[in-house]
Amino acid sequence: MRESGAGTLDTHEHHAERGFWRTYVFSTDHKMIGKQYLSLGLFWAVVGGLLAHVMRWQLAWPDTAVPGWGEVGPETYNVLVTMHGTIMVFFVAMPILLGAFGNFLIPLMIGARDMAFPRLNMLSVWVFALASLVLLVSFFVPGGAASAGWTGYPPLSAKVEYTGVNWGLNLWILAHALEFAAFLMGGVNYLTTAIALRVPGMTFFRLPLVIWQQLTATTLFLLSVGPLIAGAVMLLLDRIIGTHFYAAEGGGDPLLWQHLFWFFGHPEVYVILLPAVGLVLDVLPVFARKPIFGYRWIIYSTIAAGGLSFIVWAHHMFVSGMDPRLAMPFSITTILISVPFAYIMFAMIATLYKGSIRFDTPMLWALGFIAMFIVGGLTGIFNGSAPADIYISDTYFVVAHFHYTLFSSVVFGGFAGFYFWFPKMFGRLLSEPLGKIHFWLTLVFFNVTFFPLHNIGLAGMMRRIANPLEYEYLVPHQWINVVATVGAILLLASQIPFVVNVVWSLLAGKTAPKNPWEANTLEWTAPSPPPPLNWGATLPVVYRGAYEYSLPDMAEDWLPQDRALAARSR
Amino acid sequence: MASHGVRPNYVAIWGWLVALMIAGLAASFLPGARGLAVVLIFATAVAKALLVALNYMHLKFEPRLIYAIAIVPVLFLLVLTVALFPDFVFSR
Amino acid sequence: MAISAEAPAIPGILPGKVGVWWFLASEIMLFGGLIASFIVFRLGSAGWHGEAAHLSVPIAAVNTLVLLTSSLTMVQAFATAERGDQRGPRTYLALTILLGLAFLGIKAYEYTSEILAGFTPGTGIFWSFYYTMTGLHALHVLAGAVVNSILLGAGRLRNPHRLELAGLYWHFVDVVWIFLFPLLYLA
Repeated sequence: MRESGAGTLDTHEHHAERGFWRTYVFSTDHKMIGKQYLSLGLFWAVVGGLLAHVMRWQLAWPDTAVPGWGEVGPETYNVLVTMHGTIMVFFVAMPILLGAFGNFLIPLMIGARDMAFPRLNMLSVWVFALASLVLLVSFFVPGGAASAGWTGYPPLSAKVEYTGVNWGLNLWILAHALEFAAFLMGGVNYLTTAIALRVPGMTFFRLPLVIWQQLTATTLFLLSVGPLIAGAVMLLLDRIIGTHFYAAEGGGDPLLWQHLFWFFGHPEVYVILLPAVGLVLDVLPVFARKPIFGYRWIIYSTIAAGGLSFIVWAHHMFVSGMDPRLAMPFSITTILISVPFAYIMFAMIATLYKGSIRFDTPMLWALGFIAMFIVGGLTGIFNGSAPADIYISDTYFVVAHFHYTLFSSVVFGGFAGFYFWFPKMFGRLLSEPLGKIHFWLTLVFFNVTFFPLHNIGLAGMMRRIANPLEYEYLVPHQWINVVATVGAILLLASQIPFVVNVVWSLLAGKTAPKNPWEANTLEWTAPSPPPPLNWGATLPVVYRGAYEYSLPDMAEDWLPQDRALAARSR
Repeated sequence: MASHGVRPNYVAIWGWLVALMIAGLAASFLPGARGLAVVLIFATAVAKALLVALNYMHLKFEPRLIYAIAIVPVLFLLVLTVALFPDFVFSR
Repeated sequence: MAISAEAPAIPGILPGKVGVWWFLASEIMLFGGLIASFIVFRLGSAGWHGEAAHLSVPIAAVNTLVLLTSSLTMVQAFATAERGDQRGPRTYLALTILLGLAFLGIKAYEYTSEILAGFTPGTGIFWSFYYTMTGLHALHVLAGAVVNSILLGAGRLRNPHRLELAGLYWHFVDVVWIFLFPLLYLA
C-alpha cells in the first residue's frame, strides 16, 4: 500500500467491494485489527471472569459444589488460579489496552493512514488468535490445563509428576510464546509508525499522551520479554528433553526462573498500566476543558518510571530465598519508582483543579481510575518494602494490591477509553444513563469485593489455597470471604448494563457526529467511524499541541490541533 | 535514498574480523594466567562485534535513535547479569 | 510493502529500518537473557572448563570463519545492488545462503558426534546451556537462510533496501555467534 502525495484514494466504494472476509477477517486496516483484538480480549474477559467466580464460590463456601461446575478440589483450584491469572494478564489486559486501543488510536492520532506495516499487523492479530486457540485447547487435553500458577515456578512447572499436568503446561508455554510473538510484531509496528509516519507539524512534544504511553509500554515490552522467552525455552526443554536448568539435582537452580520471569514480569505490569494511564490522561482534559497539567513532566516521569521498571523486579522475590543482600537495593528502587507515578497522579488531579468539569461517563471512569489507582499504589509501597513484604507476601494483601492496580487499569481506564472512543470506533453514541449506572455499580461492588481482601490478607490468609476453612486461624475471618464473593457476583451483574448498552447502541443507537466530545486530537477530525485510509485526499496538518482547552481569548473552549489560526502567532 | 557518501571497505573489514578471530584463538592457548587470556578473548569478540555492527550494519551512518535502540538493550543486560551475581556466583 | 509518510517525520529514517532495529533489540534481550544466565552459572560452578574441553574448537573456528564470510557476502549483495550491478546481488545472496547452510551442516555434524560420544542436553548443566544456546542460534541461522532464499526467489533485487534489511538480521545472527564462540568454546 505505497502512496505518494495526495492522489485519488479509494474510500467507501473500496470498503464495500471488499466483501465480508476481507473486511472483517483478513483485514490489514488498523481500525479493524484493533476491533479484532478488542473482541478477543472481551471473549477472554468473560472466560477469565467466570474462572474467578468459580474460585470465589469455592473460597466462600468450600464444602459445596459450585453451580454449573461441580466440586472444586485442590488440583482444580490450582488450574483456576493459574488460568485466571494467565488469561487476565496476557489475554485480556494486553489485547484490550495495548492491542485494541494502540492499533485503533496510534495512526489516527498522528495523522497516518495506517500502521507502517499493515500486513505485519494483520499477522500479529492472527498469531494472537492462534495463541488464544492453543490456550483454549489446553483446557481439554488429558491432564487438563496448566496449574503451576500464572508465574509458572519450577520445580512445580518443570516436572510432570508434580502437577499431573503434561500437555496442558506445554501448550500453556506455547500459547505464551505465540502471544509474545504477536505483541513483538505489534510493538515493532507501533514504534515504527509513531517514529516515521507523523504528519507535518506533529512533533514528538505535540503528541497526545495516549501515544507517549503506548510507545513507552511497547518499548518496555520489547526490551523485557527476551529474557523470559529465554527462560521459557529453558522451562520447555526441562519438561520435554530433560535438561536441568531449574533442577538443583542436575546443577540448575529454580531461582533462575524467578529472576528471568520477574525481570519481564515487573515491566509487564507497567505495559498494562501505562496505556490505561494514557487513556485517562487524554480523557481528563476533554471533560475538564483544561489543558493537561505538566505535559512535559508527565512524559519525563513516564520515561523515568519505564527505565526504573527494569531495576525493581526482585521485589517479587523477597521471600524466595534469594540473596538477602539484594533486598535493600531493590526496596530502594521500588520506593523510587513511586515518585514518577505519584507525579502523574498529582498532575491528573491538578488538571481537574478549576476546570469546568463535564461528568459524562468517560469522565466518571477516569475519576474512578484516579481514586482506585491511588489505593492500589499506596498498598504497593508496603509490598515493595522488604521488611513489610516479608510479612504480607503471598497473602491476600498482595491480591488486593494488584487487583486495585490492575482493575484500575483494565476496567476503569479501559472503560474510560471505551466509552470515550466508542463513537469514533463504531459511529454510534452509547447511552449516558446506562453508562452511569454501569460505572456506579462497578465502582461500589469492585470495592466490596476487593477492599476486604486487604484485611483478610493481613489476618494471614495465604494466596492460592483452595479451602480457607482448613486453617483454624482463618475460620473467624471466613465472613470476609463470603462478603467478597457476594461482591464479586454483584460486580459481574453490574456489567449487564454495559452489555445492553453496547448491543443496543450498535443496533439502534444514535449516529455519532465527527466530534461529539469537542476534543482537540486528530482522530476527531476523521469521520465516525473513519473510512479505510482514515481521511480523504488530504491529511491534517498540525499546528499545536493536543491540550489547548479554554484559551483566554478564544470564543470556543477548545482548539483542535489541525486548525490553522489567521496571521497571529500561536 | 542513500545519502551516504562513502561505504566502508567491506573486504578490509572482513580481513580484520578474521585476524581478530585468530588473535582470540591464539589467546585461548596462552599459558599461564587464565584471567588475562579471558580478557583478551572477549576483547577480540567485542571488537569483532563492533566492526560488524558499525560497518556491516551501517550503525556508523545511522541517526542517533538507531544507536539508542541498539545500545539500551545491552545496558539492561548488564544490569540483569550483575543482579544475578549474588544468587548464582557468590553463593554456589 | 510499508506505508510511507507523505513527508518523513525524521529525515533519513526509513520505516523498514526502524522496524528491523526494534526487532533486533528484542532479539538482543532474548540471546542476552540466555547468555547472562550462562555467564553467572559458569562463574559460579566449578568444573565447566572440563566439560567445555569436550567441545571441538577447530570445528567451531571453521564455523566462525564460515559465518564471518557469509556476513561479507551478505553486505556485498547489498553493496552491488546499491551500485546498480545486475548479477552481483544474486551471486552474493546465493553465496550467503550456501554459507549459512554450510554452517548448519557443520553444526549438525558437531551435534551428532557429541551425542554419539554421550553428551546430550541432559548430561549436565553445561551441556543444557550449550545445546540451548547453539540450538536457538542455529534456528535463527535457518530462519535467515529461509528469508534470504525467499528474497532470492522473489527476484526483485534491484532495490537494495530489502537486502539491507535482511542483512541487518543476518549480521545480527553473526554477532551472536561472535559471542557464543568464545563463551562456549574458548573461555
